[in-house]
Amino acid sequence: MTMPAFTIFVVDDDTAVLKALTRLLRVNGLSIQTFSSPLEFLLRHDPSVPGCAILDLSMPGLDGLKLQQELATQHAELPVIFITGKGDISTGIRAMKAGAVDFLTKPVRDSELLAAIEQARERVVKITEARAQLDSIKARLARLTPREHEVLALVVAGRLNKQIASELGTVEKTIKVHRGRMMKKMGVRAVADLVRMAEKANIRPQD
Amino acid sequence: MNDTPLLGPAPAFKARIRLFLLRLKEAIPTPLLVAVAYFVGAEAAFLIGRLSDMSFAPFWPPNVVLFCALLLAPERRWWIYLVAAFPAHVLAELQVGMPTAHLLVAFSTNCSVAVLNAAALRKILGDLPWAVTLRTASYYILVTAVVSPAICAFGGAFGPILGGSPIENYFLCWGQWYLSNALGSLTLGPLFLTMFSDSPRSSSVAPPRRQAEAVILGVALAIVCATAFQFSNRTIALGFIPALLYSPLPLILWSTVRFGEKGASAAILIVAIVLLWRTLNSSSVFVAGNPEANVLALQMFLVGLAIPVLLLGASIDEVRHAEQSTSENEERMGLAAASANIGLWHYDPATERFWATGHCRSMFGLAPHVGLTHFTLINAIHPEDRQVAIEAMKAAANSEQPTVSEFRTISADGQTRWIRARAYSHFGDRGVPVRLSGILVDITDYKTAEAEAELQRREVAHLMRVSVLGELSGAIAHELNQPLTAILSNAQAALLVLAQTPADLAEVKEALEEIEMEDTRAGEVIHRLRDLLGKGKSTFAAIQFNDLIESTLQLLRCELIGRQIRVSMNLGDHLPPTYGDAVQLQQVVLNLVMNAMDAMSATPVSRRAITVSTRVTETGRIEATVADRGPGVSSEVRAKVFQPFFTTKDHGLGLGLSICLNIVKSHGGEINLDSNGEGGATARVILPTPEVDDG
Repeated sequence: MTMPAFTIFVVDDDTAVLKALTRLLRVNGLSIQTFSSPLEFLLRHDPSVPGCAILDLSMPGLDGLKLQQELATQHAELPVIFITGKGDISTGIRAMKAGAVDFLTKPVRDSELLAAIEQARERVVKITEARAQLDSIKARLARLTPREHEVLALVVAGRLNKQIASELGTVEKTIKVHRGRMMKKMGVRAVADLVRMAEKANIRPQD
Repeated sequence: MNDTPLLGPAPAFKARIRLFLLRLKEAIPTPLLVAVAYFVGAEAAFLIGRLSDMSFAPFWPPNVVLFCALLLAPERRWWIYLVAAFPAHVLAELQVGMPTAHLLVAFSTNCSVAVLNAAALRKILGDLPWAVTLRTASYYILVTAVVSPAICAFGGAFGPILGGSPIENYFLCWGQWYLSNALGSLTLGPLFLTMFSDSPRSSSVAPPRRQAEAVILGVALAIVCATAFQFSNRTIALGFIPALLYSPLPLILWSTVRFGEKGASAAILIVAIVLLWRTLNSSSVFVAGNPEANVLALQMFLVGLAIPVLLLGASIDEVRHAEQSTSENEERMGLAAASANIGLWHYDPATERFWATGHCRSMFGLAPHVGLTHFTLINAIHPEDRQVAIEAMKAAANSEQPTVSEFRTISADGQTRWIRARAYSHFGDRGVPVRLSGILVDITDYKTAEAEAELQRREVAHLMRVSVLGELSGAIAHELNQPLTAILSNAQAALLVLAQTPADLAEVKEALEEIEMEDTRAGEVIHRLRDLLGKGKSTFAAIQFNDLIESTLQLLRCELIGRQIRVSMNLGDHLPPTYGDAVQLQQVVLNLVMNAMDAMSATPVSRRAITVSTRVTETGRIEATVADRGPGVSSEVRAKVFQPFFTTKDHGLGLGLSICLNIVKSHGGEINLDSNGEGGATARVILPTPEVDDG
């Protein structure tokens, strides 16, 4: 499958700054999309394109932090790099807590900016990998029968076959068959792997 | 009796007498003193001489002594003086062997004339001391030399009748009694009264030359009188009587003119004593045959002489007093004016002469000996202000309205003073200015204070600008960071491009062009800041108000974004320029927009907006408004909002709007603050434009 190139979304209301940043990133071989207002960005950018956003913190209409919140609800995986002309600590902390990759002050040096972009790219890669993993777990879980689901939940909760059998009102032998089949469908041998997988898929151990 | 001390007693001598009398007064009750004086007066009269029938002395001082004592004493104590005089009277008259009935009648008429004189004068002229004027002298003569002795003489004339004189002589006696009393009142009375009512100040300042003059005059007068009568016997036959009679007159007039009423009465007293004495000792200019008739003629002559001379003396005193009080008034006025820092002057166009108080001279830095002329005065005025001063004086000379001008003077030592001159004309009958007069006020202190206040106002305005910019520092840093960011990014991009092969030079060129542009932009920000932070002298120049607003809002752009406030500008087309200090007017706009921003801190973000508008008013002036959507202004806030230190902000100094008011006023404009239809406040500044306000 062909993945779209990693794209930098630059949002700044100052045309000169926007142009300059664009030039800098372009000559560094990065793919860029520019937006001159936060609203334009929210409405126009393609969430399916992997990338990161470089946001000016103070912009008319919607400030950088608000935009970050908005993005978090719409498009959780998009990492945000803030650049600001008047960096104060409290705003920086708020931005970082809300998951910003970095908080850079203007005038920003290319090395800092590129490093932040690299960091964002890594985060995107990680997120992409994690999502791929989750997708495969979910696909496997989808193949389980309801009975196998029940068994899985109890196995993850650390119950022995005998206990599972009594809870489900059947005999230990039958449970062993279900369990073997479930482990095979999930593609794991050890219970520990199953537990890790269940955690990722957010399956709560059944008490 | 020696004559010199009576004419013009030497001050030291007079002072000694006064001291002696004071001591005596302390030791002896006044009535006793009066009794003694009464007795001494009678003895003196007897010494000068008596008429042959012994009934009357032709000159009778005791009555004058008593009358003067009564004038000086409170009325309720008069009886004590009268009682005290009685033994003195008895003692004196018994010496000359006066019969009892005669003695009693004489005493009672003596008392009555004294009481009548004193009571009438008190009634008419009030209590002592009296100012010596023609009026007081006239009343004095009327009462003491005409009315009162004439009435009392009807009683007095009975004395000799009771003493054995035939009744046919009644009217002769009346005449003698009358004249002897009138003469006493005219000679001794004024002397006593002027001596006793003298204020200590005027008696203590007679210079030695004046004292000598008085003594010489007295002696000369006595000699002339005595000599004239000595030769009389030989010259009468030759018909020289009038010449002899008038021989003392020049000296009497001299004495009167020089010494006023005091000199007049003293001179008359000397003449009276010498002439009476000579006449009674049988050498007289009057040749009626017997001494009584001679004395009567002499008495009438003396009374006739005394009245005009006394009136002349009083007139001279009055004039002299008026002169003195005028000069005192002038001095007082000059002093008061000088202490109020005011100089008085006038100018007579006919003679081209200036008169001015000493303070005027000091204001013009002129030494006391320098003459006041056009040249010296104009020369003392600062060259730049001469035209102003001359124009103002010309205007004053041609108008009935007073003119006011302000100019500087420079003294010889280079000291500059600010003078405010007020001048007005007095027009004569033919509408020609006869006199130009006015005042000069030294306003140097006021001008200095004004300059200092102006300096302080500028300092405060500057401090406020600095503090406002301090508040905006973050926003301004951002404003400066924007171009710097663009410059850095472009520069780094260009460097990177140049490192590549082949280098894309078009890209590099574009980057450099943008660097140049952004550098200019950064420069502009710094330029604006430097103007606002600067303390430069205010410079008036033509200003496009719209440009000023745009530039100010540019400075505030980042702060407005930070506070999430939208700004809409509604700037009128074809605004005429206004004249003013760009920095100060920018401060006004800055303050008003900052206030509008602060007012909306509690306004929901979606509603936050500032509208800045300009337009040309119906009267052709420029109107700029800044409208917000804050809470608006209440009427009590509106009343105080331009007062210094009034603030509605938690951390405000309360100086912003008061400085705005100062600035706008100094530009000849108006500023006000009112609630608007949006629920917020609108600040309105109206500024003059040269086309409208100068035309």
